[in-house]
Amino acid sequence: MVFGRTKSVCPVCLRVIDAEKTTGADGNIYMEKTCPGHGHFSALIWEGDLRSYLRWGTVSSTVEPPVDAKAPGEGCPYDCGLCTEHLRKGCCMLLELTNRCNLRCPVCFAAAGEKEPYDLPLDEIERQYDFLMAHGGPFNIQLSGGEPTVRDDLPEIIRLGREKGFTFFQLNTNGLRLAREADYAAVLKAAGLNTVFLQFDGMTDEVYITLRGRALLKEKLAAVDNCERAGLGIVLVPVVAPGVNDMQVGDILRFALSRMPAVRGVHFQPVSYFGRCGLERPGRPITIPRMLRLIGEQTGGQMKYEDFGGGGAENPYCSFHASYMRRPDGSLKPLARKAGSSCCCCTGSDDSREFVANQWSGEDSREYAPDGDMTQTSALDEFLAQARLNTFSLSGMLFQDAMNLDLDRLKRCYICELDSERGMVPFCAYNLTDTDGKALYRK
Amino acid sequence: MQDRTYYVIDPQGKLKCRKCGVNLVRGKAKFMYLDNGFPVELPVCPVCGFVYVPEELALGKVLSVEKALEDK
Repeated sequence: MVFGRTKSVCPVCLRVIDAEKTTGADGNIYMEKTCPGHGHFSALIWEGDLRSYLRWGTVSSTVEPPVDAKAPGEGCPYDCGLCTEHLRKGCCMLLELTNRCNLRCPVCFAAAGEKEPYDLPLDEIERQYDFLMAHGGPFNIQLSGGEPTVRDDLPEIIRLGREKGFTFFQLNTNGLRLAREADYAAVLKAAGLNTVFLQFDGMTDEVYITLRGRALLKEKLAAVDNCERAGLGIVLVPVVAPGVNDMQVGDILRFALSRMPAVRGVHFQPVSYFGRCGLERPGRPITIPRMLRLIGEQTGGQMKYEDFGGGGAENPYCSFHASYMRRPDGSLKPLARKAGSSCCCCTGSDDSREFVANQWSGEDSREYAPDGDMTQTSALDEFLAQARLNTFSLSGMLFQDAMNLDLDRLKRCYICELDSERGMVPFCAYNLTDTDGKALYRK
Repeated sequence: MQDRTYYVIDPQGKLKCRKCGVNLVRGKAKFMYLDNGFPVELPVCPVCGFVYVPEELALGKVLSVEKALEDK
């Protein structure tokens, strides 16, 4: 049964084609589309019934257009940069500082290490910072690559961004250098880094051998230790691949909870079938309901489907999120959703940016004004101190590939890659590849 | 338009209850939000019970607590 229409692309030639959202014979939700030249394609987009699919989407969807956007030419998704058809001004900006990497992962959306080594020059980084400030900044900055820590001038890059007025810096890293150099985390923190977004796929070496090409668990644990010692907030980021590590979701969460408050949260990324991906796209890729089911089953119901909601700033079908407060007995209390709202999330990019900055930062990044004579507010102080130590954020983002790309979703994307020629390009457009691996944007 | 100010500051800088005309004194109060109570002490009117919440407190710690209790 067809219940919705949108636009997508042909996975072979990437031309824009009509797509229908349907309920399949198995009761799940599919995207169906036909390219005149390359035939029919069907992609599972939601493992659950129509009611649960529609209910997930009942999030306020305000429009917050990009600043100084350009006029569209060929139309979405060919004019990214951003254009006036885009509905979000952006929240997180990825700066790909280098294409070099000290790993050679079988799975890498950036396909790092395949081309001539290239580091983004410092003056070009400065230009990108200035561009962002002129287009709605400050945004949260994700320092990415390749592996950004292969650059020795990384602290300088962070300091430069701070001088330009950016306040939140997240390092997307495999953690090898953080593990190897005990003082490196402190150096980055002193430069102004807030959070380490640590690639952390599982609790056994087998998982790393499959996804990353070699055993890495010991190094991941050392990286966590070193960041903790430096007071750098850590978010564990597992790429989840069916049959590889989807059975370790609970183990990862238990480890994360045991390392609070250094570990501020876990951010799951079901594997994307674009870029360099040595895994074949399965007929049943991971969807939001499956991810939430895995979390529920493997935490013994401690974290439940009902605790989660879709993002309000992005399209709700792009992400899931819940926050918990750890009680003194170690049990978890899901945090109440905002009063008067059916969703759990902020609805604007600025709210989202602030939430990420607050929840994912290290411990000492907030200050409170001293009390006056007539007031005594120790109950608030104690609560805030406890909240810092005991709040845990669990989230995930499902990137789109050419099989399931939904242009309605793409138009609300607020995570952009910075491109020197084009400007801000939504992540799922930037990394889109056809069935031969040819990219729409990435060079 | 009716004046909505509930307090005045006298020349010595003391807070007074506008309605009752008496000095505010340090007294017990409680913030309630999403089933959580936070006992505090704030300037209160000993006659009518009006509680003065300084703006920096409302926009500082209280707002931080509110955000910590909310999921995003």
